[in-house]
This record gives sequence, C-alpha cells and structure tokens, in this order.
Amino acid sequence: MRIVLVALTLLLAAPVMAQTTTPGQVLQAAVSQAIRPGVLEFTSRASGLSIAMNALCRAPSEGTLALVKGQFRQAALAYGRVEFLRIGPLMEDNRADRLLFWPDRRGIGLRQVQAILAEEDASATALDTLRAKSVAVQGFGALEFVLYGTGAEVLPAPEGAFRCAYGRAVAANIAGIARELANGWFAPSGIADHLTAPRADYADYRTGTEALEALVGLVSHGMEAVRDTRINPFLPTEERAARPKEALFWRSELSFEMIGANMEGMQRLLDQSGIAGAVDADHSGLGASIDFEFRNAARALALVTPPMEQALADEKQVNALNYLVIVTGSLQAMVGEQLSAALGLSVGFSSLDGD
Amino acid sequence: MWQRRAFLKAAGAGFAASLLPRQVLALERNELVFASAVQTASGGYGAVLLGERGDLIASIDLPDRGHDITISREAGRGVVFARQPGTFALVFDPDGREAPVTLTSVAGRHFYGHGVFSPDGRLLYATESDFEAAQGVIGIYDATDGYKRVGEFPTYGTGPHEMLLMPDGVTFVVANGGIETHPDFGRAELNIETMDPSVVFVDRRDGRLVGQLRLEAGLHQLSIRHMAIDGRGRVWFGCQYKGAPSDSPQLVGYATMDGAIELVELPAGTLADLRNYVGSVAASGDGGMVAVSSPEGDLLVAIDTEGKRPVLVDTLRNGCGLAADDAGFVATSGNGEMVGIAGAEREARKFDFLFDNHMLRVG
Repeated sequence: MRIVLVALTLLLAAPVMAQTTTPGQVLQAAVSQAIRPGVLEFTSRASGLSIAMNALCRAPSEGTLALVKGQFRQAALAYGRVEFLRIGPLMEDNRADRLLFWPDRRGIGLRQVQAILAEEDASATALDTLRAKSVAVQGFGALEFVLYGTGAEVLPAPEGAFRCAYGRAVAANIAGIARELANGWFAPSGIADHLTAPRADYADYRTGTEALEALVGLVSHGMEAVRDTRINPFLPTEERAARPKEALFWRSELSFEMIGANMEGMQRLLDQSGIAGAVDADHSGLGASIDFEFRNAARALALVTPPMEQALADEKQVNALNYLVIVTGSLQAMVGEQLSAALGLSVGFSSLDGD
Repeated sequence: MWQRRAFLKAAGAGFAASLLPRQVLALERNELVFASAVQTASGGYGAVLLGERGDLIASIDLPDRGHDITISREAGRGVVFARQPGTFALVFDPDGREAPVTLTSVAGRHFYGHGVFSPDGRLLYATESDFEAAQGVIGIYDATDGYKRVGEFPTYGTGPHEMLLMPDGVTFVVANGGIETHPDFGRAELNIETMDPSVVFVDRRDGRLVGQLRLEAGLHQLSIRHMAIDGRGRVWFGCQYKGAPSDSPQLVGYATMDGAIELVELPAGTLADLRNYVGSVAASGDGGMVAVSSPEGDLLVAIDTEGKRPVLVDTLRNGCGLAADDAGFVATSGNGEMVGIAGAEREARKFDFLFDNHMLRVG
C-alpha cells in the first residue's frame, strides 16, 4: 500500500517543482534557515538548563527540580534537532561525545558517573576540571543520571548538595559547548562561509558539489545513526528479548521524543534548504516522497508512549517501532542514494563510511 | 605473483565456460589481471576479474557488499571478504572445478574485509572482531579442510583492518585501527575519545606478539587502516583521522620490524586534499613507490619510498582502489572508472559497475 501511495505522490507532484532552486540557494538557506537557527535554539535552551540548575542548587525544592527537569527536556530535544550536524564545530574538540556520549555499550560512562557521585569527587563540580575528565561524565547522559538515576531523590533536599553541584557543572558545560557551537557556525570566514561559498583553496569545501554532498551526507548518516543507535538496540529480535535499558534517556522517558527531535531536525534541513527542488524535472517528485516518509515516521512515533519497558511489552508499539526502522532506512536511501544521484552527487559508496 | 600463463591455464576451464567469445579473446591477450569487489548497476554486489585493458573477464555475485580480495596460487583459490561488519567470505575456485564456498564468521565475530593466505596456501587468515570484548582477532581457516575455522590469534588491539604477510613468510603485520564498533549499533564508532591504534607484528606460527608500534600520544585519533610493503620490507600505512576536522595531521607513514614508526611529511596542499582520509595503499612492482588514495579528496598520490616525498599527485573522482602494474599503478573509483597513474599508460575506462575500495593484481 505504501509503495502505491509513494508512486501516486510521485505522479501528482511531478510536473510542478522542477529545478526551482539553485545549489547556491540551497546551501545559503541550509545555513541561514536551518543550521544557524537550530544551533541558536540549542544555545538558548542549554543556557536555560544551566540557569535552572544553579537555582536548584541555591534553593533545593521539588518545584525547582520540576523546573530543572523541564529545562533538561527542552535542552536535550533542542540538541536532538541539531546533533546530526556532524561537520565543523560539533566535530571539534570531541564536542559531540562530550555533549552526549552514546551508545555507552559497556556502561563505562554510567560507572564513571556513579563513581563521581559515590566518591563525591569535588573535581567534577568545577567546570575546568570537569572538562578534563572522560567525555562520558560531561554531558546529557551524565546529567540525566543526576536528575533521574538511582539516588536522585536527594536533589530537592540539602543532602543532595554534591549531586546538585555536579549536575550544575555538567549543565554549565553543556551550555558552554552550545555557545562554542554557535560561535563556530557564526564565525567570520568559518564553516558557514565555506559551506555557502566553497572555494578551491578551502580545506573543507572546495566546490559546490562537495558542499551539497556534505548536506546530503548529514541526513543520510543521521538517519542511519537514529536507526542503529536510538531504535534498533532496544527492539526485540528473533534472538533476544527487548532491552528497554538500551534506550537513550529511558530514565527521563525522553527516548521517543528524542527520536522525534532527531527526525524533525533533519526534516527541517531538507525543507528549509529546498534541496529537493534543486533536481531536474525527472526527479521533481522526490521531495514529495521524502515528505511522505517523514509523515510516516511521525505517525509511527505518535503510536508509542513511554515508559520504555511498557512500550516494548505492547505488540502494537513494537510494530510501530519496527516500522520506524523501515522508514528511517527508506529515508536514508531516498536521501543518500536517490536524491544524491538526482543532484549528480556521489555520496557513500567508496567514501564517507570509514573503511 | 601469478604469471599470466599460469593464470590462464588455471582460470580458463572454470571462467571461460561461461564467457562470450569476445571475453575469451580478452583473457587470451591480457598481460595482467586485476580483481575487485564491486556494486553492480542494479545495486547488487559482486566481484570482478578485469584484464589490464579493462576487459571484463569474469564476475561472481556476492550476498552483500564485499571489500578486499586475496588470492593464493598454492591454494588455487581466491577469497572475497565481506565489508565490515559483514559475516561472510566467499572462497572461489579460479579453476572452475568447484562451486564457490561461502564462509560464515563464527558467533561473536565478524569480518573486517581483509585477510591473507599462508605461503603454502594451506591456511587462510582474516582480520575479525571479537565484538563483545572489543578486541581484534585473526581468524584461522584450514584451506585443506573445507575452510573450517581452526583457531584465532589476538591482534593486540581494537578494530583491526588490513593484514599482510611480511616477506619473511612467518610474520603478519596488522593495522589495528583502534575504533570500537558493535553489531548492535551498526557502524557507530563507540570510543573515539579513547581510541588506541597501532601497527602490530604477530608471529604466524603461534600468534606471539613480535612488536607493537604506536604513533605519538597526540595522534591517538589517527586510525591506521591500510598498508603495503616496499622493496626494503618497510610497511607503509595510510590513516584516517577521527579527531577535529580542522586538524590536519600527516596521514601516511611507515613502520619497520625493528621498531621504527614515522609519518612522512606530505606538502600542506596535498595533505589538505587527502581530507584526513586515506582509503587504500599499494606498493609498486619494484617496491620503489607507494601510492595512496583518498576517495574523500578525489586524490591519488604516489610517493618515492627512498626520498619519502610525492612524485605524482593526480585526481580521480571518488578514487580509491590501487594496484601495481608493470609501470605504475592502476586506480579505480566508486564511480566505476579505471585509470593508470605514475607511469602506467592506459586508457581510462568507465564501467557500469562501481568499484569498491580495493584493487588486487592477480597476475
């Protein structure tokens, strides 16, 4: 049925939107309409989280803790909308891992966070010494454990002082990295300029083709990462039962919203850049097909509700998640292969996959 | 190295049976034969044998994407390894007397796409991942007993990639890329902050660690992946940098069995055009040159191994596969092109399949 609908969408959309956008406009719009606004939003949310953590530590209370948790959600989702931007500033200085070390396959990060809390390691409560520690204890994963993990019930009380101080340092670190990201994307003669006006003597983007390949690659690899690190690890398979604790943010019950934020961020880049409008008339329906798959993804996500353990015990929700795996794979192929080919790019065969 | 006539004699019966007359002609007049894994026009995967003029001699289908190929005249077999984290390796018989055999990695292991035969062709070795322990291993297969897996050696590191047999015939050199992955998480790289790449020499007879070489500590995010051995027995390697993209570390170096490891200084412009990514390394027939490729930077660089400096820089869109021919190198691309560089005079050819990262000179 889905195939029929895709075909129909292709037919209906075909005559209209051929080559309405030039590659230069695509790159310009990607930066100004999607990337920079996304990074600024994250900076603002991260700053809100840091302020709220300060307030909690100064005056611990249930009310302030609830505020902090709300800010945590906002900041994490704002990051979810930009975390696929794995070029330039996010890849400098281990920032992506410092913001969110995931997957933590062997639980190394978790054990390090637990050790900091158990030993009341004072060096984890000051920003400069925290930054020198393992990437796994500096970001959202660590802060989620501080706010929702075992022992978090002390936070609204005076005996939660150390836990709060550590959380405050982590939140400040997240806010600092968010500012660095924004600074990177707004730096004069920085990545934004290189991406939007490539030049042969730039080390990163020498031609418009390379810049477009980078954009397409972000979404194609982003889809792969969502599927491989945010959905598949917890789904039941023929060989094993569901593993709800392999889900990112199962404690804060933000797992599904985070997947939604990831998809939203990638959709925003495609939509706002108008990249699907930069293809020739033969491929003019591709944009509509991609939109259609994003709607399918949103529909599947609307069917799942935390807590993770209960969701994975419900066949209907597991089916929706399995469907989401298919949709992310389909989007990866549509963007990484079909759109890429329609734009005359070559993404992903012998390069860009680290082999 | 197979001689052309030996190959013809060996290959003729099996492959030629299904070849068209034009292809038989190609086989008969070719001087050199090359092999590569490919993606077919229909999106499937396979491996091909090509004559030096670009004639397609034979092809086999693969269940999924292949990576590197190794061939042993002594074993009378070639092997295409699945690209990581694949779980198959296809053993084919150039003699055509037996159908291809598909090996499957054992539980808890997957292939990394590279391997070698023992000099006598009786054992096949493959780089593999013990992914629960995040440790690399060399899987050992008995070519005389249906390629049964008979054991494994450690690679003394994580994420092993290419392995070669040193000219002494008893020492392996393995590039431990240093990157942890796990099939539960697809191709996600799990330890970028703490990766620990190395070049190791391992005794083929007992798996003993002969030597382990690391680059300086500041370069722990420089993943050592592909290698070739020059005329003096030095192991040239190419790296992929996983640290900040604005860093531009040197990417090509060599290691020796007596414990030296160093990066060579490529000029800044050339280095920048490699884009922190070397996809394959090959040595020339006389071992006096090595070539490296970057499909990310569309660049091919040939380096004089004595002077340790580039003697040729060329571009090839999405170019990665490299193999020596009699004069220079043959290079192939993910866009389906095959060209000659560094003295190899050959007409550029375009195929309707796409070449994977590695090209092997068969004979």
